[in-house]
This record gives sequence, C-alpha cells and structure tokens, in this order.
Amino acid sequence: MANLFAVLGLAESLTLEPEEVDRAWQALTRESPPQSDDGTEDSSEIHHARRILSDPVSRLEHWLERHGIALERGSSMAPDFMDLFSQIHEALAKADSVYGRHEKATTALTKALLSREAIEAQLAVQDCLSLLHQKKSRRIGQFAAFEEASQRSEYHDAATTLGQLKFLKKWEQQCRERLLKLIEC
Amino acid sequence: MSDSETHSSPAGEAVIIGIDLGTTHSLVGVVDSGFPIILADAQGERLTPSVVSYADPENPRIGREALRAAETAPRVTIASAKRYLGRPYSDLSDEEKSAPPFRVVPLNDGGIGFEIAEGRVVTPGEVSSEILRHLKGVAEAALESPVSRAVITVPAYFNNSQREATKSAAEKAGLTVERIINEPTAAALAYGLDKLDDEQTVAVYDLGGGTFDLSVLQMRGGLFEVIATAGDTQLGGDDFDAALATQIAEQLDLTDLSPQETTRLMAEARKAKESLSSAESYSLRLPFFREGRSYELEITRAQFEAAADSFIERTGSICRRAFAEADQKEVGSIDHLILVGGSTRVPAVQEKLKSWFGHEPNLSQHPDEAVGLGAAIQAGMLCGRVRSIVLVDVTPLSLGIETFGGLMNVIIARNSTIPAKAGELFTNAVANQPSMAIRVLQGEREMAKDNWLLGEIEVPFSPGPKGSARVGVQFAIDRDGILEVLARDTATGGDHVLEIRNSAIDVDDAEVEKMVSESVDYAFDDMNERIWTEAKLKSEELLPAVEMAMTQVGAQLDEADKTEIESAAAAVRALLDSESRDAPALKAANRTLDEATQTLAALLVEAAFSQE
Repeated sequence: MANLFAVLGLAESLTLEPEEVDRAWQALTRESPPQSDDGTEDSSEIHHARRILSDPVSRLEHWLERHGIALERGSSMAPDFMDLFSQIHEALAKADSVYGRHEKATTALTKALLSREAIEAQLAVQDCLSLLHQKKSRRIGQFAAFEEASQRSEYHDAATTLGQLKFLKKWEQQCRERLLKLIEC
Repeated sequence: MSDSETHSSPAGEAVIIGIDLGTTHSLVGVVDSGFPIILADAQGERLTPSVVSYADPENPRIGREALRAAETAPRVTIASAKRYLGRPYSDLSDEEKSAPPFRVVPLNDGGIGFEIAEGRVVTPGEVSSEILRHLKGVAEAALESPVSRAVITVPAYFNNSQREATKSAAEKAGLTVERIINEPTAAALAYGLDKLDDEQTVAVYDLGGGTFDLSVLQMRGGLFEVIATAGDTQLGGDDFDAALATQIAEQLDLTDLSPQETTRLMAEARKAKESLSSAESYSLRLPFFREGRSYELEITRAQFEAAADSFIERTGSICRRAFAEADQKEVGSIDHLILVGGSTRVPAVQEKLKSWFGHEPNLSQHPDEAVGLGAAIQAGMLCGRVRSIVLVDVTPLSLGIETFGGLMNVIIARNSTIPAKAGELFTNAVANQPSMAIRVLQGEREMAKDNWLLGEIEVPFSPGPKGSARVGVQFAIDRDGILEVLARDTATGGDHVLEIRNSAIDVDDAEVEKMVSESVDYAFDDMNERIWTEAKLKSEELLPAVEMAMTQVGAQLDEADKTEIESAAAAVRALLDSESRDAPALKAANRTLDEATQTLAALLVEAAFSQE
C-alpha cells in the first residue's frame, strides 16, 4: 500500500487542511516532475495523492488502510439515515423526471412550461445537499478523536464512521450530478 | 513591424512549432526571442483556411487556393473536415451526412470518407494531414530551416479517438507530435504570459468555427491549472451560417439546392454574419443564382440573432455546468471571462455572456490568434525557450468500462488532473477461460450505450480454476489526454500494452453497401416525408404547450401578442389537417409559432422564479 502522505512529503495525519495538501502538491508540481520507471516524466502519482488526501472521506479511508483496517461492509447504516434516504430518493426522482421531459422538449415554450418544476426540483436537491453537508461535517469533526484513539490502537469508531461517510459522499455526488443536469433546464 | 527577417535562426531540428488546427482556419507559430509569434506564408497571410480541394486528386490545393476552387468544384472541396475527425460514421447526424456539398460516405472500417472522384475516397485524417503538411511548409519557409516537431491544439472536449486521429494526421504529415494541448488552455497561456506573478481564476470561452469549449483555470505564479472543462465538439460558427442559410433559402423560396448553390449560399450567409457583427443590416445579393435569376434580400441583425439564438443558448448551459463544477472544487469566483475563437465576435454572444454572468467579457486576446500563440508558447516551453511556466490540465470526459446490465463504471472521473492512472482487477468467471473482452467507454451517461465506445480490450487469463486468474488492468491517460491500457498478470508480474480494438471494424461489406446507398439517397429520396414527420412531431409538441401556457400566463399578454399567437397556432393546425402534407410550409409555420411564443415563454420563466 503506497503511502500517499509520503508522496506529497506530508505527515500521516487525518486532520490535514486542504491548503496544506495543495501547498505540498504545488511545490512538487513546480519542481521537475518525478520520473517513472522508464525514465519518462510521470506526475500521475502526485495528482492522485492530492485528490485522495484533499477529500476527508478518501483521506480517512487511506489512513485506515495504512493502519491495516479494512472497511466493514453492511453495518454502516446509521439510524438517522433512513429518513434522509427517502428524502434524497424523492428529490433525485423529481430531478430525473424534470430533466427527462426537458431533454425531450424541442421548443422554448415547452421547456419554459417546465421551469417551475425545475426550480422546485433544484431546491429539493439543494435541501438534501445541505443536510448531507451537516451530517458529513459532524463526522469529519471527530477526526481528531480518531487520531487520539489510534494511539491506543482503537479504530472501531473510525471504521464505522468511514462506512457512513461513504454513504453520505455517494449521495452527495448523486445530488451534485442532478444539480448539474438541472442547470440545463 | 516586419517579423520574417528578424528570426534568430535557430538550429533547425531543435525548434518545435505550435499549430492551431482549426475547423475553419489554421495557424502556425513559434517562440522567437521569448515571444510567441504567428508565422506568415509567402503572401503575408497568417490564417490558412482549413480547406482542401481535390479538383486534381493527384495535386490537392490547400487553403485560400482551395477556397477559390470551392465555388467551381464544391463536390471535391473539403471544408470543416475537423468535424468528422476521429468519429465513426454511425455517429453522424442526418444533417452531417447530407448538408455538405461533398459526399460523406461510410468506410469498411466504420470510419468516414469523403468521395472526391468515382471510387476515390479521402478520410478526414488525410484532409487534416494535407493542412498540417502545408503549415509545416509555411513554417519552414518562414524559419528557413526544416521543421519536424510540433505541438498541436485540439478542442478540450475532444475524446480519445479524436485526439488519436489528430496525432496520426500530424505523423502522416511528417511531424512528430511533442504534445497535444487543449485549445482553451492554449489561449489561457497566451493571456497569462505577461501576468506570471498574478493570482487569478479565469474562464476561457472558446467558440470557434466548429467547436465550443469552456475551461476554468487557476493561474498562480506561473502555475496554470485547469480546474474544470466542458464543451461540445459539434457546435460553432458554422452552425450560425447554416441556420442563417436555411432561413434565407426559405425566405427566397429556394428549395432543392444543388451543391453549387449550397456552397454559394453558405458563403453568403457567412459574409452576412461577419458584416452584421458591426452593421445593423446586410443586403444579400445572389446574382444569376438559379436559371439566370438573381435574388436579393435584406437581412437584419435581429434576424441573424434569431437564427443563431439556440446555439448561443447551448453554450450558456455548458458554461453553467463548468462553473458549477469549478465551484464544487472551491476555487473561488472567476476574475475574468476571456473570449477567444472567431465566433465570439458576434455581438449577441458578448451581450448574452454579460447578461448571464455579469462579467464584462475580456476581449484582450486576438480571437483568431490566441490559440495559435498558446500552442507556440507550449512548444517554446518544451524546447526550453520559455521557462517558469508549469501547465496542468484535466481530462474532459469520464473514462469507464461496461459492467453488468450495460452500465458504465467510471474508472477515471472527468476533470481529473492528467496524467492519471487507475487500476482494476479482473478474474476468470469460469475455469480455463482464455480471456475476457472489456468495452472501454468515454462519457457522462449512466448507460454504457449512451457513451462513446473507444473500443474493446482483450484481457488474457492463464489457465486455472474459476477465480484463480488475476489480471490487473491499468488505465492511464497521458498528458495528451490519450489513453493507454496495460495488463499486469499478478502471477507472472509481466506487463503488456493492450490494444484497443475499434469494434466498428466488424461492419461487413453488405452493411457498408447499404450505408453507402442510404447516404447517397439522403439528398434526394423521401426528403419531404422526413421533414414532414419531424415537423409534425414539433407541431404536436407546440400546440398543447401553447394552450397550457395561455391558461397559465396568457392574461399578461397584450392583445396584439395574443392575436399573433392565435393566428400562428391556427395556421399550424390548418396545415396539419390539410391533405397536401406540405412539409416546408409546416416547418415554416412551426417556426412562426415558435417565434410568436417567445414572450409567452419568457413570462413563464419569470412566473416560475417569482413564485420562489
């Protein structure tokens, strides 16, 4: 398992700031890029390291992997997720429905007839996004505690949280995709 | 200022030229004494029209000479070949097959050909190659030394096949491609060359003859980083010309245009467009156009803008998409919106951008030359003539493979910084399975079939029980945005490059025969029936929409607008019910109704927002 923290010359810390990652990446990118095995320039590894470490969820996953902890499957549905799930599902379906009809419409008038619905769908998706953001931030706020627990070789909370964060991130991505689509409406 | 005499004659082989291979015209540049310059040909011209004429197939004419041939020999004069480059024939719309005055035919390998003589076909790659060879010659004459290395620009939104086709066209022209660089990125280099100490976030809006790109870049002390890019490789000023030409033909009641007539009309439409960038109206003249008859027509800027409107609107949603993606990456607000590409001269484009985004568009860059200058700068960086610039770009499209249920599984997401690598592990599903075929895709759609199929790779397995073989496949996108696939057998540790087979190659001869005859028939056969069906669908969409919109916001219209809409709708209804099935008339009536309801549409949108 490659140490992506080391690739960017950073300490193996969960609580890195995105700015620190970016500074390290910038410094390396400005230098002559690293050489790959066959002697050609290859900076794909530093780009990859930046992408993984900038995002708290993939950073936590990498950090756990570095400590030999694999993601537990199936046990990550938090109790507060069920309501959220149906809300998100509804918002996504609404967005898809509006977008689908908008794609089929060929005139300005038929498109305009959909604008009210498009705005409603957009607001519903945005509501979901802010809920997801809250839930994500609360969990990311525990990173310092995870680091402390790791001193005692305790990783259970971190691993459970990772499972939940991955759900939240996936939903967040789905919501963002729908927003991008709705922009066209 | 004269430039041709002042070159510090560089060691011939070391120089790298920068080429902007455009849809409508192309340029070649180089860095001289630290500054990028565009090189002029023997006539002192810096822009070469991207046109090749095969009136004499053994001796093709390129550029302005070819353009002159277009009117007399339209069927063998190929323009806008870039639109067809690196695409399969099956990808083409009816319009793309039938609109050009030259014949577009399918090839045995599934590719596209242009028929330049009975039984003689050239490919878009060969046409591009002629243009590149010509530009190489221009550079050699100007620099007075041989040239063999080049940087070539492509639309940022070009997919893997289009990039590969560009690269091989250059190789065929005797050029080693040192780097493929995205057009808006190149323009950003030209913009930022004298601002290396600044920190800015800029968006480059690049609307050329045939392609549109929008890229958001962060410039930080000489580091140029592309954050997000979006585009459409089949959208550009050519579309404005074609839409205007259609409108003119309808107004003059000209149907069944011959190739000569199409070419003349398109040329006139382009002239009208260019003139309407500064003038409010244009007097179109077509002397002795048909059977000795001449035609005249007054075109206003408003008429042109109505024709171009839907295309400009499309660029708007692409911009919003890229801005939203950049925003999700938290780059902060955009400081400058830089306009490049000839089509940004159209005032309506500038006005719309201003009203959409509140930015006064930045017009500091030469719309035709910025991309070529940027290519020259990148070339200069590679041969050590320009230092202190670092460039980092992204891949415009998600790369993935087809999985169960025909879904696309993304392996490298769009807007990932390149070079990028990602691995997948494959195993045998049954004992002693010799290999597994994987379909490699590019695009953003959920279903595999809705994305571009780049081809198939065959992953080899060593014999053994089910699940015993383990082959890691690495997908790597290089700096040029071109894909390479490597397979590593985890047992042997051996790597080898997997060939990406163009799966369109299987098209059999009978199929091609059929496609050829269809393509020939397009122009003549049941054209009326096709237009009628299309127009009827549109009427059936519009009429109920008009009714619904009138009940919702009709009260806010003044009487004149109301009457106009009602009579336009009545006209459509009458044509739908008539026995004659007059397709052009129905199409025109639809358009009248479409135009008459613009205010109604605007009222609906306004109402939707005010309810918030």
